[in-house]
Amino acid sequence: MTVLGYLANGLVFSSIIVLGSIGLSLVYSIADFANFAHGDTMTIGAYSALVTFGAVGGLGGAVLGLPYGFFVALVVGIAAAAVVAVATEKLIYEPLDVDSIGLLITSIGIAFIYRAVIQIRFGSDFTRFDLQPLRPIEALVPYGVRITLHDVAIFGSAVVLVVGLHVLLQYTDLGRKMRAMADNPDLARVSGIRTKRVKLWTWVIGAGLAGAGGVFLGLFNQLAPRMGFNLLLVIFAAVILGGIGSVYGAMAGGFLIGMINQLTPFFSNVVEALPIRPNWLATVIENMITIEYANAIAFVIMVVVLLVRPNGIAGEAAT
Amino acid sequence: MSRDTTDLADRRTLLKLTGGAGLVALSGCLSTTDDGGDGSDGSDGDDGSDGDDGSDGSDDGSDSDDSTEAYEVGMVDSQTGSLSAFGERNQRGVNLALSRVNEVGINGRDLDIVVEDSESENQGGIAAAQKLVNQDGVPFLIGAVGSGVSLAIYESVVEGSDVVQLSQNSTGLNLTEFPGLLRMSPSGRSQSLALSNLISDDGYDEVAITYVNNDYGQSLTDAFVNAYDGEIVYNTPHDQDQQSYSSVISEMNSSGADAWLFITYQAEFATMVNEVYSSGYEAQFYGADSVSGDNVLENTPEGSIEEMKIVVPSAPVEEENYQSFADAFESEYGQQPTSWAAYAYDCVINAALAIQAADEFTGEALQDTVRRVSGPEGETVTSFEAASEILADGGGPDDVDYQGVSGPIDFDENGDPVGFLQVLEVQDHAYEGIDFIEG
Repeated sequence: MTVLGYLANGLVFSSIIVLGSIGLSLVYSIADFANFAHGDTMTIGAYSALVTFGAVGGLGGAVLGLPYGFFVALVVGIAAAAVVAVATEKLIYEPLDVDSIGLLITSIGIAFIYRAVIQIRFGSDFTRFDLQPLRPIEALVPYGVRITLHDVAIFGSAVVLVVGLHVLLQYTDLGRKMRAMADNPDLARVSGIRTKRVKLWTWVIGAGLAGAGGVFLGLFNQLAPRMGFNLLLVIFAAVILGGIGSVYGAMAGGFLIGMINQLTPFFSNVVEALPIRPNWLATVIENMITIEYANAIAFVIMVVVLLVRPNGIAGEAAT
Repeated sequence: MSRDTTDLADRRTLLKLTGGAGLVALSGCLSTTDDGGDGSDGSDGDDGSDGDDGSDGSDDGSDSDDSTEAYEVGMVDSQTGSLSAFGERNQRGVNLALSRVNEVGINGRDLDIVVEDSESENQGGIAAAQKLVNQDGVPFLIGAVGSGVSLAIYESVVEGSDVVQLSQNSTGLNLTEFPGLLRMSPSGRSQSLALSNLISDDGYDEVAITYVNNDYGQSLTDAFVNAYDGEIVYNTPHDQDQQSYSSVISEMNSSGADAWLFITYQAEFATMVNEVYSSGYEAQFYGADSVSGDNVLENTPEGSIEEMKIVVPSAPVEEENYQSFADAFESEYGQQPTSWAAYAYDCVINAALAIQAADEFTGEALQDTVRRVSGPEGETVTSFEAASEILADGGGPDDVDYQGVSGPIDFDENGDPVGFLQVLEVQDHAYEGIDFIEG
C-alpha cells in the first residue's frame, strides 16, 4: 500500500474521531466537566440509526452507495443522541449539586446505564447495518488507495458537519453566545445571555455530533454495545492533544490522532528503510514502531506535544 | 445533644449497611437460576425411592443437613465484556442441562447454579469466584470462559483449597500445566497442530499470521509456529476491540503470503474480513475456532470468506446423544447449538454426576468423583438419566462412563479432555464440515 493509501485510510478514520472529539470538547468548555458517557452517546446514535434504517428501508435511490433511508437513519441517530443527552442533563446532571469531579464520576455511571440499556435490548453481540458492503473504488486502486464509496460518504458528511459547526460558531448569534460562555460564564450571564439555554444547545450540538460519529463508526466497522466506549480513550487523547475545551483544537487533535493511528505501518516502513546506526538501535526502533503499538505511538506523540505546549495545540485560543 | 446526633448517625450507618447488605443478597438471588419451587415437591417423593435403591450410604451425610435443599454449585461466566457472546451460548447449554438434571434429581434434591459475571476480565472473574467460594461456599466451580480468567481464578481463589474448578470454554495451552484446573474444551495445542498440517497439506509454504494479543492468541500461535514446516512471513498480534484493523490486513497483504491465518475472536475477525473485502485483497483464509460463528457469517459480505478453513473443537455431531441434544436445543432456542453450549452443558452434567457419586457434598469428595464419573472405566452412558440410574442402583463413580455431548470427556492427568476436532470449510457462506480429527 502506498502513502496515499494510508493517508486516505487516515482521513476516514480521523473523520469519525473528529466528530466524537468536538462534542466532548464543546461540552467540556461549556458544561465544565469531562463527560465519560460521551462514547456511549455515540453508541446510542448508532443503534438508533440501526433501528430506523431497519424500519424505513432504502427509500429508493442512493447516494455514494448509501440509500436515502440511511441518511434518514443518520438524522434520527443524531436526534436520538441529542435527546438522550439533553434528558440526562435535565434529569441528572443539572439537579445534581456537585462539582466537576462529581459530575465526571456521575457520567461514568451514566455511561454504564446507556450501555446496559443497549445491551438489554440488542444483546452483547456485534451487528452491522443492512447495507451491501462495497468493493474499493476501481479508479483509485492503481494509486494504492483502497477506499469504498462508503468511506467517501463518511469523510464528506464529516466535512459538512464540521463546516456547519464552524459557520454556526462564527457567524450566528447562538455561536457567539456559546463562545462568550466558554470564555467567561459569569460575564456572559451578566451581559444578558441566557446561559441555561445556551448550555442546552451545547448538549444538543455536542451529542448530535457524537451520534453522527457513532453512525459512521457503525458504517465503517460494526455496531456493538462497547463500540463508543472502546473509542473513548482515543477521543480523550485527541481532545487533550488539541487543548481541552477548544473546538478547533479538538478538530486538529482528532485529525492527528486518527492519522497517526492509520499511518503507523507507513512509519514502520520508513524506519526500516532508514540507515540507523548502530544496529541494535535500529532493531529497537523497528520493534517499537509496529502496528501493535499504533495507539501507544499516538499517545507518545500526544505526550511530546503536551511537553512543548502544555495546554494542547490550540490551548490559548478561545473556542 | 452531641450524643444524640452521634446516635442518629450510627443508626443511619446501620440502616445504610443493612440496606447495602440486603441489596447484595438480592443481587445474589437475581443471578441464580431458581427452580426451587417445583423441585421441593418432587424431591419429597423421591427421597423414599432413593432410600430403597440403597444409595443411602452416600446420602447419609448430606441428608442430615437438609435433604430438600438444592445442591448449590457456582459458575463464573462472561455475561458482559468482550466474550459475552460465549456467555450467552453457555447459559443456554447450562439451562438445558439444569432442566435435564432436575427432571431426575440428585439423591432427591435439585441442582442449583449460582452464576456470577466475570465481565470477561481477570479482576472481575476473581471477584466473582471469591464471592462464590467464600460467601456462597460452593464446593464446585464451573468457570471461566477466557483462558486468562480461568487461570487467574485458579491461582488466586481455587489453588490450595479443595474446591473443584472446571472451565467450560478455555482452550489456552498453558492450562495444561495446572492439573488441578479441569476443562471441558480441548486444549488449543491440538488445534494448532491440525491447522499447521492443514495448511501444509493444502500446499502453502508461506503463511501470514495475526493473533489476538492475549494468552489465548499467543499460545496458539506459538504452538503453530513450532509445528509449521513452511515459512512464516508475517506474525503480528493485534489488540482486541479496536475500531479498525486496516493496518493489519494491509501488512498481511504486503507480506506476499497466499495463506492467511487468523487466531482471534469473532468481532475482530468480522471487522478484518470487511476491511479485506472493501480493500479488495484476496487470500486463502484459515482460522482457529474462535473466528467461526453465525455472527461472523451474518456480518460479512456474501462470498468474502469463501473456502476459508477453520479447525473447531467439535462435538461428535454424528453421535446420537449429540443429535438429541441439538434437537432439544433447537426446540428450546430456535437455533442450532454451538460447541460452546455443548461444553457448558457437559460441565453441568459432569458436576451433577460427581455430586451424586460423592459421599458428601464437599470439595474433597468431589475432587475424587469428578474425573471418575466421566472417565474411561465403567458402563458407557450418554445421558444424565442413565448415569444417574447406575449410581442410584449402588454403582460407584467407576461404574459410570458418561459420554458428553461434546465428546468422550475422559480427563487426562492434566485435566484436559479428549477432544474432537472438526475441519469446517465455508461454502456458499455457510460452514460445512469436511473432516474429523481426534485430538
